[in-house]
Amino acid sequence: MDITLKIRRFDPENDTEPHWEAYGVTVLPTDRVLDALHKVKWEVDGSLTFRRSCAHGVCGSDAMRINGRNRLACKTLIKDVNPDKPITVEAIKGLPLQKDLVVDMEPFFDAYRDVMPFLITRGNEPTRERLQSSKDRERFDDTTKCILCAACTTSCPVYWVDGQYFGPAAIVNAHRFIFDSRDEGAQQRLEILNEREGVWRCRTTFNCTEACPRGIEITKAIQEVKRALLTRAV
Amino acid sequence: MGEHERHVYDVVVIGAGGAGLRAAIEARQRGMRTAVICKSLFGKAHTVMAEGGIAAAMANVNSHDDWQVHFRDTMRGGKFLNSWRMAQLHAQEAPQRVWELEAWGALFDRTPDGRISQRNFGGHEYPRLAHVGDRTGLELIRTLQQRIVALQQEDFRQHGDYEARLRVFAECTITELLKDGPRVAGAFGYWRESGRFVVFEAPAVILATGGIGKSYKVTSNSWEYTGDGHALALLAGGSLVNMEFVQFHPTGMVWPPSVKGILVTESVRGDGGVLRNSEGKRFMFDYVPDVFRAKYAETEEEADRWYADPDSNRRPPELLPRDEVARAINSEVKEGRGSPHGGVLLDVSSRLPADVIRRKLPSMYHQFKELADVDITAEPMEVGPTCHYVMGGVEVDPDTEGAVGVPGLFAAGEVAGGMHGSNRLGGNSLSDLLVFGRRAGLAAAAWVESLAGDSPAVAADDVTAAERTALAPFRDGTADNPYAVHQELQQTMNDLVGIIRRAGEMEEALDRLERLRKRAAEVAVEGHRQFNPGWHLALDLRNMLLVSECVARAALQREESRGGHTREDFPKASAQWRRWNLVCRLDATGQVSVDRKPLASMPPELLGLFERKELASYLAEDELAGLPEQPTGGGPR
Ligand SMILES: Cc1cc2nc3c(=O)[nH]c(=O)nc-3n(C[C@H](O)[C@H](O)[C@H](O)COP(=O)(O)OP(=O)(O)OC[C@H]3O[C@@H](n4cnc5c(N)ncnc54)[C@H](O)[C@@H]3O)c2cc1C
Ligand code: FES
Repeated sequence: MDITLKIRRFDPENDTEPHWEAYGVTVLPTDRVLDALHKVKWEVDGSLTFRRSCAHGVCGSDAMRINGRNRLACKTLIKDVNPDKPITVEAIKGLPLQKDLVVDMEPFFDAYRDVMPFLITRGNEPTRERLQSSKDRERFDDTTKCILCAACTTSCPVYWVDGQYFGPAAIVNAHRFIFDSRDEGAQQRLEILNEREGVWRCRTTFNCTEACPRGIEITKAIQEVKRALLTRAV
Repeated sequence: MGEHERHVYDVVVIGAGGAGLRAAIEARQRGMRTAVICKSLFGKAHTVMAEGGIAAAMANVNSHDDWQVHFRDTMRGGKFLNSWRMAQLHAQEAPQRVWELEAWGALFDRTPDGRISQRNFGGHEYPRLAHVGDRTGLELIRTLQQRIVALQQEDFRQHGDYEARLRVFAECTITELLKDGPRVAGAFGYWRESGRFVVFEAPAVILATGGIGKSYKVTSNSWEYTGDGHALALLAGGSLVNMEFVQFHPTGMVWPPSVKGILVTESVRGDGGVLRNSEGKRFMFDYVPDVFRAKYAETEEEADRWYADPDSNRRPPELLPRDEVARAINSEVKEGRGSPHGGVLLDVSSRLPADVIRRKLPSMYHQFKELADVDITAEPMEVGPTCHYVMGGVEVDPDTEGAVGVPGLFAAGEVAGGMHGSNRLGGNSLSDLLVFGRRAGLAAAAWVESLAGDSPAVAADDVTAAERTALAPFRDGTADNPYAVHQELQQTMNDLVGIIRRAGEMEEALDRLERLRKRAAEVAVEGHRQFNPGWHLALDLRNMLLVSECVARAALQREESRGGHTREDFPKASAQWRRWNLVCRLDATGQVSVDRKPLASMPPELLGLFERKELASYLAEDELAGLPEQPTGGGPR
């Protein structure tokens, strides 16, 4: 089938503002938006720039706004995005635009690092594994699925207007440790999330949960962190 | 030489997958100022895709397991062409590396008593793969990434600078290694975003760049897999070993076309999935080779009993090593018993309840649902072979991972050769990354210390030359576009140096590669250096072509079939060929040369782990003659 991709292009060397450009390509309905972008790049305009790596939804490189919604291009089939009309593709919002569909991810990773995303324990390291019951492990299974693609954070209206807010992804990654039975740094992390730009900024709009390509219940995780802050128990 | 951004480090690690990160952590923990460089964003390396698990004989699920059994399985899988020393170190140290990962916070699925759970996989005698659902690679990368963040925060507390001793250079591609005489002196590359050049000066460089799959059309590999490290080592005077051995994973998706090649994890079979042809027959029973016959079930009933009672039944033939399964699927399809889109059927829906499938194989469930509109709890998947892993790689010293012939250069992970012989067992890569990543980091640190300040220096001329090479594609003219050359290369390797090989076809491939090489040298790209994907590919082409030529030349030379190398014109394994490695180098004129090199012989205590009858199926008469009637030894078994 023939489709039109409307891509928001930006070349920092020549453009002052991004602009929309339309490309016609022939694809199969079961092709993905990523395949269509590759077609444009290989056959029409070799300068089109976007990130991708694994091409099946595990590395989190190719989050973009497709028809106004954050998705991974490698997991979005053409037939599912109303291909009778032009399909719009643009960079995710809220992070500095670098070129075409590529944004500067540093502010996003800064927030991630701020929540101390590593296991904190006291005492000696064990010689074999620590024991953990399946139930304790299940407790935080959901938030370990995060691929740091930024789809959630850059769909959050609070994040768009307030660049200081940690954003949902950082809270998800804090949750991953706060509720890990092996971790002993929960109070420290909760303290960090209690700060001005922390979890209380969340206005529970559920955009993040909808945007997550991994199906993580992000809003629920944020609620759990809020509750832990109120009760100081995890 | 233009003014370039320069960085001086003790150790530079090229690659931020499992091997690179583990190496960098080790070097930094040994007090080295360490840089990690990668083409993609930090935390997104190819390793994230690994699904099934990490092989380590921890004996959590079956107490009979130990390193000797793991060693034996690894040698069998590799058809005795492995570097026995690497296989030994790997089997011995893998459990420690997994426990360490757990101590650093990695999530694992657990046994009922809370220990790390282990699952069955092809070629492994006991359940051996530590795993997290089917996202083990993601967790491995994330844990190492977290460890690095932790070390950086420690450095901040001590030095006021997060990057005082460990810095990640993401989206930066290395195009050249720099040398001072025979020794490595650093690396040259460009920032993908700005296109600006950057020079790293370091007396130790560790290659951890992964594999070569993007030279093939149907592959499970990520875009990073352009064989850069393989090519960098060759160009720096190193050698590559085992390049003829390319692993085709038996189960890649075959439909729809856009996802052809994407991996269907072996856990599907480990957890009970079976392969059927268009007639509904479990055909793998017809393909059990003699060397494996004693270990594999002969009837479906026995095979099915094995899942519940592995001690008194033999395993299903669907769990043979990958090369066997891939060839079997190939034959079934060729003989007209394939599935509608040219694969075979992989069925779990009739074997496990839907909720168990969703819980044990969540990524597979979603992958098929989202990308192929197939509900794997209700219908079978269509699968076929896909280029997955390269056994070949930089020839290294087994203990230190030092590259043969280039002091100061090290290699670990998929880019290194030797460990897996002619065929890798599933799960043995992630453990390889941790075991040899750590060893490379250690040895690099020791090397730097041994220099006692007598550091090599980067020569200005070399930097100028590297810059010239990198800028060459910005030429005028209407020459080829790099994407067209790349597609032809992929088609060539897929069609002519694929699963089943023939002399005539490989000669044809070499002709075509020669022509492609000429075209690649003329490729012209448009635009500027800022984030210019066409330019990036033009530079990658050199590497892919060089590595592809090594694969084709070595494959043409090895006149036998073994593991990931199957010759239609030489269908049997030859005990004489088992004694030789093929080693690729560049000669003085820049041409690839392939030489034979004898394999190191295995010490008696390791030979003693195998029955003489089994050894007889691998070794030549005169090698066997030298052995005691029934070799003994081999430690506690
Ligand atoms: C889908 C899939 C599933 C798999 N499942 C398993 C499994 O269950 N168990 C198992 O044991 N193995 C598995 N494997 C194999 C295993 O994942 C790989 O062999 C392994 O991850 C390779 O790791 P690595 O550290 O060598 O390299 P990678 O993780 O590939 O990292 C390579 C790094 O090098 C960088 N790089 C490359 N070239 C350059 C350059 N020129 N300049 C700068 N940086 C560069 C890249 O950016 C990247 O950071 C699987 C493979 C695939 C494809
Ligand atoms: S390319 Fe990896 S998530 Fe899409």
